[in-house]
Amino acid sequence: MKTMVVGASSGLGRELATELARRKHDLVLVASGRRDLEALAADLTLRHGVAVELVALDLATAADPGARLLAALDAESALDALLLPLGMSRGHDDFSLDAAAIGELLAINLHAPLAIIHALLPRLLAAQGVIVLFGSVAAVRGRGRNVVYAAAKRALVSVYESLRQRFAPGQLRVQLYEPGFIATNLTWGMRLPMPASDPARLARQIVAGLGRGSRRRFVPARYALIAALLRGLPWALYRRMRA
Amino acid sequence: MRGYALGESHLTSFDRQFEALCRVQRPDRYRLLDALPTDVPRIPRGGGVSYVAASFGAGGVSQELGAFDRLLAFDEAAGRLTVEAGARIGDVQRFLLARGWYLAVAPGHPRASIGGCIAADVHGKNPARDGTFRSQVEAMELHAPLRGTVVASRQRNPELFEASCGGLGLTGSIARVRLKLARPPSGLVMRRVPVTSLAEAAAVLRESANARVLYGWHDGRARAFGRGVVWVGLSSDRAEGAVEDMPPRDADLPATVRALPFEVWNRAGIAAANGWLGWRWRRAGQSPESLAAALFPLNRARVYFAGFGKAGMAEAQWLVPHRRFDAFAEALADEVARSRPRITLIASKLFAGRAAGLSFDGNGVALAIQLAAPREAPQQRFLEALAGLALAHEGRPNLIKDSSLDGEVARRGIAGFDTARGQLAAHNPGGLHGSELSRRLGL
Ligand SMILES: Cc1cc2nc3c(=O)[nH]c(=O)nc-3n(C[C@H](O)[C@H](O)[C@H](O)COP(=O)(O)OP(=O)(O)OC[C@H]3O[C@@H](n4cnc5c(N)ncnc54)[C@H](O)[C@@H]3O)c2cc1C
Ligand SMILES: NC(=O)c1ccc[n+]([C@@H]2O[C@H](COP(=O)([O-])OP(=O)(O)OC[C@H]3O[C@@H](n4cnc5c(N)ncnc54)[C@H](OP(=O)(O)O)[C@@H]3O)[C@@H](O)[C@H]2O)c1
Repeated sequence: MKTMVVGASSGLGRELATELARRKHDLVLVASGRRDLEALAADLTLRHGVAVELVALDLATAADPGARLLAALDAESALDALLLPLGMSRGHDDFSLDAAAIGELLAINLHAPLAIIHALLPRLLAAQGVIVLFGSVAAVRGRGRNVVYAAAKRALVSVYESLRQRFAPGQLRVQLYEPGFIATNLTWGMRLPMPASDPARLARQIVAGLGRGSRRRFVPARYALIAALLRGLPWALYRRMRA
Repeated sequence: MRGYALGESHLTSFDRQFEALCRVQRPDRYRLLDALPTDVPRIPRGGGVSYVAASFGAGGVSQELGAFDRLLAFDEAAGRLTVEAGARIGDVQRFLLARGWYLAVAPGHPRASIGGCIAADVHGKNPARDGTFRSQVEAMELHAPLRGTVVASRQRNPELFEASCGGLGLTGSIARVRLKLARPPSGLVMRRVPVTSLAEAAAVLRESANARVLYGWHDGRARAFGRGVVWVGLSSDRAEGAVEDMPPRDADLPATVRALPFEVWNRAGIAAANGWLGWRWRRAGQSPESLAAALFPLNRARVYFAGFGKAGMAEAQWLVPHRRFDAFAEALADEVARSRPRITLIASKLFAGRAAGLSFDGNGVALAIQLAAPREAPQQRFLEALAGLALAHEGRPNLIKDSSLDGEVARRGIAGFDTARGQLAAHNPGGLHGSELSRRLGL
């Protein structure tokens, strides 16, 4: 089993890589920090005896990240799973970002996943593999904060639908997880309205579901209810939640 | 976020004598280790299981290194492990024991980090045989704001290496460490030697200096002062479950033990516990024990620590040279008879090293004295009297354990205190690194 995790150096991605290694997947790990990837690769190899390759790449600036990742795979090797837990949000994503900052958020949250999927599709189809996308509860309904981030994450829902519409379940499975707050560096220090979830626990759940069919899930499941409430809230009320 | 994030947490020392609302950074990538603005006061934090407030306080940012817990390289033939400094000692031992190696020097709390063990130069189950933690450190990589990233070993940057072993986090954040490993025994036999006094215990300890495990437990009550048992752990050929018995991570003693709403360690509680310990263990004999259980006996001591209640505890540990030890023990017995403090337990250990910097090392016998409710006036008076007696008998205090110490007592107890302080200051430009402990001791 060969699995690629893009955004593997921290948070949920690191926990996914760890859980996959525990289940004996050989791995290709991708993020921008080489030292972090090297440390994780060494650790997973020592503890679990799996083969780990790494690609250190700044996805915000790479012109063609898909090509770089494709080049990192052996010429003929199939890819069983592609997980894309990369992501980035910013504190001032409230209509005060300049064009460069907007571009960076879109590059990491939308362009990179799209470009990587396009490049690796043939390898995934060869293995009848699975693509795992990560959206966000922040994208359920547009707000005055996380403007660009949520727009990019909402676009991933469309990517999920496109992939499912285009490929039959026997060719490719597609999974979209829409997490609520996760206890990672992304949320550390933020005042959250509810406790953040343990990323290791989410990783176990997501990896356990890899063998299953296509699916779209809020994680943890309680966020499905929260999303439904948010969506159902009358506009006049929703507008007032501008804190 | 690609920058650093700061949160706020209530942090408490393990002995519960100091608590503060602190700014905490949790770097999880190398670039974030160096991301704080260079003028922000800070202190590295490992497992945060020191009895004293060594990794927080003094208005700085605690840099929590728990995410840096990866194994980087393992040379199985030569017995060398390179590991990130946030790795927990319990996890490292689990990995190593399963592969025929271990760290001979490891403290009793499995959640202590490798970095914390270096910065406090901790001791293990028999410091007379194995030395302190620094003896198994070959090299370390340190991050500090004004100096950048530096590798220190006995050959490269030796002054920085020496200052960082026992340097209480003041020389920067240790990120990576290369450790020298030892072969574990296949099994252990724990021999029990009952003793009636601390002087008798010291004699037993000296006779058994080469044992793998060596320490005493003693009654601290006036009527039975010093009575107890010395545990002598000898290697045995019987593979008494060294690996299989290593408890899983979940069984590790928690970083903070939730206090019971009432105090168990009043006089009746202490009497009952000592009675039970005496009945259970204070007779000669021996029994096989797994190395894992011998390494982390405190995993079974949750109730003991919880029993101190919200008032917490104190652990005063003093190392007294051999030639002064018997007189010290006698004077201590007199003081206990006079002031009748609530001592829950006394632990004795043998040391045969050379005191360096601020480290707790030297040549003599150490007593760790644990007390209930250290803020109560009689308990406080006893702690002061104990410090006076220990200093009068050339005792050396353990800075990482004792919240009751001040700078003056530390200076009197540690020969070369000012020199060590100066060396630390030289590696701490602008005094950027600081904690409640360093403030209290004037470091
Ligand atoms: C139940 C219990 C049993 C214990 N048993 C023993 C024992 O048997 N022998 C013994 O000697 N001690 C013992 N101790 C003390 C304990 O081992 C030390 O206090 C140790 O330093 C704790 O490690 P930590 O990672 O929790 O460090 P912390 O409490 O987080 O910090 C301790 C010091 O280390 C520094 N530090 C931490 N990480 C780093 C890093 N990466 N780089 C630079 N500096 C760093 C901090 O700044 C601070 O000064 C015990 C403590 C408890 C509570
Ligand atoms: N945390 C939450 O509360 C939360 C909530 C909802 C959704 N999510 C989503 O869940 C996923 C995981 O989140 P997380 O909290 O685990 O995030 P995280 O800890 O910040 O990790 C993000 C990962 O993406 C990589 N990455 C970011 N920018 C990159 C770049 N320019 N080039 C290459 N790699 C880059 C990072 O690696 P480098 O730093 O090494 O580049 C890191 O490995 C993300 O998609 C996130 O949007 C998170």
